[in-house]
Amino acid sequence: MASDLLSIAASGARAARGALDVTAQNIANASSEGYVRRSLRISEVAASGGAGRIGDISLSGARIVEIKRNADSFAQAEVRRTQGDLSRANTELGGLRNIESAIEQSGLYSSVVEFEAALQHLAGDTVDSSRRAQVLAEATTMANKFNIASTSLDAAAAGLQFNAKAAGDDVTLVAGELARTNLRLSRAGAGSSDRAALLDQRDQLLERLSGHAAIATSFGPDGAVAVTIGSNPPRPLVAGGTANNFSVMVIADGTLTFDVDGMPTEMPAGAMGGAQAALVELVGVRGRLNSLADSLGSTVNGVQANGAALDGSPGQPIFAGTTAADFRVVMQDGRGIATAPAGAPANSRDSQNLVSLRLALTTFAPAGQLNNLLFDVSSKVAGRALTQDALETIASSARVTLEQQSGVDLDSEAANLIRFQQAFQASGRAMQAASDIFDTLLGIGR
Amino acid sequence: MINLSTGAFYERGTRQIGVLRSHAETLQNQIGTGDRLERSSDDPVAAARLRTLARTERLSAVDNRNSDMAQADLSLTDQSLSSISELIIRVRELAVQASSVTVKDDQRAAIGVEIEGLRSNLLLLVNSRNISGHALFGGQASGAAYTDAPPSAVYQGTPAPGAIEIGDGQTVVPAMTGPELFEFQTAAGPTDLFTVLSDLATVLKSGDPAGASISRDSLELLDGGLEKITTAQTVVGARLNWIDLMSDRRAESGERVAAERSEVGGADIAVSISRLQETLTVLEASQASFVRLSNLSLFSLLR
Repeated sequence: MASDLLSIAASGARAARGALDVTAQNIANASSEGYVRRSLRISEVAASGGAGRIGDISLSGARIVEIKRNADSFAQAEVRRTQGDLSRANTELGGLRNIESAIEQSGLYSSVVEFEAALQHLAGDTVDSSRRAQVLAEATTMANKFNIASTSLDAAAAGLQFNAKAAGDDVTLVAGELARTNLRLSRAGAGSSDRAALLDQRDQLLERLSGHAAIATSFGPDGAVAVTIGSNPPRPLVAGGTANNFSVMVIADGTLTFDVDGMPTEMPAGAMGGAQAALVELVGVRGRLNSLADSLGSTVNGVQANGAALDGSPGQPIFAGTTAADFRVVMQDGRGIATAPAGAPANSRDSQNLVSLRLALTTFAPAGQLNNLLFDVSSKVAGRALTQDALETIASSARVTLEQQSGVDLDSEAANLIRFQQAFQASGRAMQAASDIFDTLLGIGR
Repeated sequence: MINLSTGAFYERGTRQIGVLRSHAETLQNQIGTGDRLERSSDDPVAAARLRTLARTERLSAVDNRNSDMAQADLSLTDQSLSSISELIIRVRELAVQASSVTVKDDQRAAIGVEIEGLRSNLLLLVNSRNISGHALFGGQASGAAYTDAPPSAVYQGTPAPGAIEIGDGQTVVPAMTGPELFEFQTAAGPTDLFTVLSDLATVLKSGDPAGASISRDSLELLDGGLEKITTAQTVVGARLNWIDLMSDRRAESGERVAAERSEVGGADIAVSISRLQETLTVLEASQASFVRLSNLSLFSLLR
């Protein structure tokens, strides 16, 4: 006899048990990050009859062929791609917001206006010592605000650089993990639960990597992944069981360079790409701020040199420094402000040089230039915020698509639980039937 | 079959509720501060306009102070000019008295002494100070406007006083200089008020019999001097009017700036509150439906 009822029923019970295990595993991991819903493929075990035994019933029950991982590699690739774009946008927007705050919240604009107002007030009575002192106080405040804005820009740059370096270190770490996962994947049996868990791990690592950097992937037949990083040109990061060393360097102007084992590449996406974009913007803003401080100082000092101070001596510089960081007031006493033209006697109320100074400032328009700078930065932030909104929607819909397709649905797991429980009970009944039949046979002849 | 993933359901739910909450918080912030913009990037164009408006307001406040100062100086000038014209009128009265042939020579000498006193009063008046403590009639001089050098007085000031800005690129000259007030032309050439008074006093004090006729002649000179002062008073009055006009204009443009500021950057409280109410209603509804939906699990039916 080719079939054995008891072993058929036992194999069915075993398959149902396996299915129940998988269902329980799905339920347990319903909210685990990166977990992809598993399902079982159960197939019949039957032999075709040999020569002369065509009529035989040769059935051997069922067996678990494969633990299937319900992952759609297209949806996963979409999640990685959109995630990379989103984290670039997030980092860039965060950096730009810090730049905006550095210039706006330092109160630089209002201090420039106060300086102008103090000069205008001085024009009412050029020999009044309190008005002169006020001009000098406002000039000091303005210089301090330039310093504060510059320090805040430094802090924003340092934050971006630190995060990019940390991300770079993480890239090297993840690349090593991926190489190890690749090796283990090549050893795992096809269709095993071990392999499914390794694939989960691989996909999670790839997602983490795409958050940091621009990557491209290609998959081997055994599930092992080869990763290239960056662009123009892309450099190989992981191939089979080997991973290359990725590093991020800060160069003199504060922007970043990326290289893989010493070979340079560029970074158009990921958090590091965003940090690079924000740092490039920051360098531009700092340049404008520095040239504003420099020209403001030289404009004021230039007019000062053409005039006479309150004691009749030639006008001395008020400001020193050529960058926003070292911009400062060097004049100690308000009496040094040269309101009168050169050659005027002491205590002259002639305000000709002050008129020239205010005219030069009207032409140079520091407040207007600063307003433009703030407008440029803030409109860039507003634009990037819109882009980030759109990317966030795209990324979240890609993730929801993936989750819907690969995530655990507790309702269907509950249905599976009942279904496989019933299948288990039914197989148990089949064993009971086999035992009854055996008892019946034993009972013959009593 | 579409697989309704439990994880995706919770992710969607929390995201939607989070978006609604942050929207409600933005509206609450607008109502709390009264400002529509929290930072420039909320509306870069409006923020740039607001900065320009704030600068205009700030500089206009300085214009106000300078204009107040100019007004005070001009009022002081006006008062001094009134005193000076009263003084000249008094001298003219005395000159009329002295010109009478019935007046005796010793009485004429007494009149001369009084005129001499009035001349020194005039010198004090022309050296009066403005509210900043500078010479009122001395242009941009730092000390006194005139020093006495009988018979005349020597002008120490500068030819022109500095103009003061009073907004919109307009300026006003907040004072008059001595030469504008006291020097004038006669048939016999240029003279000044100090010389006229000094000459008259000297002649009358000396008891010269020609005093009567010289007094008569001096009446014409005094009239000339008085006319110069009253003309100056008219000019001062016109300047005060100009300052008033510009003050009104600044007040109006200040109102316009404030209106534009609230239009560009202010939150519309009524709209914000009704939006907040709307958002809160939607938020409550989606929270309630989220709880109801998340209770719909097959497991709760398995006994």
